[in-house]
Amino acid sequence: MSLFIESKKLRRTGYIPAFLAGGFLAAAFPAAYMAVKAEEMTSLSGKPMDLLMSANWQMMAMLNILISICGACMMYHTEYADNGIQKMSVLPVRQESLFFGKFVIAFLGLSAMVIMEMAALAGCAKYWFPDDVFSFTEILKTAGFQMVVALPTVMIMLVIASACKNMWVSLGIGVICVFTFSILPQDNTVLSLFPFASPYQMFSEATENGRTVLFLAVCGIETVAFGIGEVIYLKVRRCFE
Amino acid sequence: MNMIETQDLTKNYGDFTAVSHLDLHIRKGSVYGFLGPNGAGKSTTMKMFLGLTQPTEGSFHIDGKTYPSNRVSILKEIGSFIEAPAFYGNLTGEENLDILRKILGLPKSCVDDALELVGLTEFRKRLAKKYSLGMKQRLGLAGALIGRPPILILDEPTNGLDPVGIHEIRTLIRSLPQQYDCTVLVSSHLLPEVELMADDIGILNQGRLLFEGTMEELKRSARAGGFPTDNLEETFLALIDEDNRRRGGRL
Amino acid sequence: MSFLSLMGVEFKKIRRSKIFWILLIPVIMMWVPSIINADMNFDLRGIPITPENNFFIQGFMGMVWFMIPASLVICTVLISQTERSNRGILKMLSLPIPAAKLCFAKFTVLLMLAAAQMVMSIGAYSICAAIVTRMQDYNFILEPLYVCKTVCGIYAAAIPMAAVYWAISVLIRSPIFSVGVGLASIVPSVLMINTKIWFAYPMSYPFYLLMVAYGRAAQGVYETQIAWLPWLLAAVGITILALAVSCARYGAVERR
Repeated sequence: MSLFIESKKLRRTGYIPAFLAGGFLAAAFPAAYMAVKAEEMTSLSGKPMDLLMSANWQMMAMLNILISICGACMMYHTEYADNGIQKMSVLPVRQESLFFGKFVIAFLGLSAMVIMEMAALAGCAKYWFPDDVFSFTEILKTAGFQMVVALPTVMIMLVIASACKNMWVSLGIGVICVFTFSILPQDNTVLSLFPFASPYQMFSEATENGRTVLFLAVCGIETVAFGIGEVIYLKVRRCFE
Repeated sequence: MNMIETQDLTKNYGDFTAVSHLDLHIRKGSVYGFLGPNGAGKSTTMKMFLGLTQPTEGSFHIDGKTYPSNRVSILKEIGSFIEAPAFYGNLTGEENLDILRKILGLPKSCVDDALELVGLTEFRKRLAKKYSLGMKQRLGLAGALIGRPPILILDEPTNGLDPVGIHEIRTLIRSLPQQYDCTVLVSSHLLPEVELMADDIGILNQGRLLFEGTMEELKRSARAGGFPTDNLEETFLALIDEDNRRRGGRL
Repeated sequence: MSFLSLMGVEFKKIRRSKIFWILLIPVIMMWVPSIINADMNFDLRGIPITPENNFFIQGFMGMVWFMIPASLVICTVLISQTERSNRGILKMLSLPIPAAKLCFAKFTVLLMLAAAQMVMSIGAYSICAAIVTRMQDYNFILEPLYVCKTVCGIYAAAIPMAAVYWAISVLIRSPIFSVGVGLASIVPSVLMINTKIWFAYPMSYPFYLLMVAYGRAAQGVYETQIAWLPWLLAAVGITILALAVSCARYGAVERR
């Protein structure tokens, strides 16, 4: 039920169009890249999907994170802007379920983007590498992996947005986090497990290094931990208001 | 029987005491007028009833339930309207109420009923952020009245309304206990307004309860205390004035 | 009302807004890893560059490609939100000041905030270079004049971008959308910088200047000469267009 209500609150905020537009833009990257560098790319050895991913995923993942940040800020901005959240807190509804409803929506938005991106990558692979054997399960696995490694980021961004009444403070924190993790060395395993860094990890690389399970497990644990953190935060906040 | 009762209810913000040792008794099925100048602690008290702010000391019971252990079941019985109307600007009036309806688990007809009660039916499809001040106020009231809850907590519900609107809302509030046996706690800083609506009144100044009882009792005690009684506004002002003077505070 | 006092008013509006921290934190974030990884400046991976130049350019790289644009986006949101959230804009428009002047004053505030961040980053660089010099026993401190000139160049190159972001925030009323568009526009600048039409994309200007500085410090990494034409024309054109549009449209919706 809370899911339905949360999705209703997002009407006319442009939440869905934002994710769709982000998805389209991200999907355009590999196509644009191939249009410019087709010769170089087709002469390389390796699986076309992996080549395309390693050339474009950094930018696509960053776009996913940025749109997720905006989405989280938007969801809580509609709550805080006209005091809607105050009304919610005097209704017999748990604040926690409100939050998790938002999380599910944010996750669905992200999934939609990842699916669009994967479709674009697969399309590019098919178009520019016609000889390649197309593996549907591989693409599904990649999509699933990329969604899961982005989960902690989505969760912690919602936690931040729920804590800040001023939208641009949460936005600022989010952008600073993106920035910080984008300049930290990428090859450090521990650092790459953090939210804001994990979405850049690629399925093919993780498989190569045998770290797929590690990434999936750690990201799952992080997501749950941040969720629990939010529940505790909401309880504490209620005592101090 | 008392619907809402407080014992020694106190709220401090740092070293500022917003509400001090309050003992309120609100009878079931009555309209209780909560009266006091700006900053007297009316909103703070109401916020404590709704769990929006924690009491520093003391406790309260609503319909025999205690806070905070029965928070959710208390909130289920209360329709509320606090300070500025709270809503989602990107949704229409109807959609805003529909969200509340779903959370409260009420039938669909409740939305129409609430819109009808406050006279917003005509503007149901308009975005809430495009509402005029008075319409926002009505939307806030509709959000409190939706589902006809047994307890209503209304904080200055007639703010920003035109004279016709004020009259309508007053008449509505006055009629609610007869309509479906609810208890209303309504705050105001205007005594004449409270006089027209309330069965009982409580006068608050600087966080303290100066008086609690019926209008008749107020007149009687004012007469006994040597305050003017021919005009209730003057009675009220004199009461507040006297209290301020006694504390040596502001006038 | 004079322009200067109008700007004073605009600055007053963003008092207590914590914007200072949002500008300062990334500057610190940028340099802390540089101190920790100071020894990596000696690992040049075959690029013919001196460690002190490497330290300077690597440090500013994240700043020019992401943090300057992102800070500008956040500042535009802050400025337009303070005006809109409690409908202060209606009050402002009812006062005897031309809306265009108001708009321009706000844009100047935006530029001042960006300038403050630049000064902070020069300060942070100097402190960090001094610390690293001590730590590594190698002189990491570059000629102050060179540092100031490069940073000033980057700042000047960010002005067209600031104008575009300002126009976006004026035209797109939903704050989230203007932020979304702004942030999304940062991402492709890495791609654009390597194409022939980089000068048509204002978000890549500061990045381009730093890359030229990189090219000068390390042979063969990037171009060594700034292609003033057609860049200058494009930059001036974009700035004027963006400012004209934002001044013309400022408050148009509220006055309707």
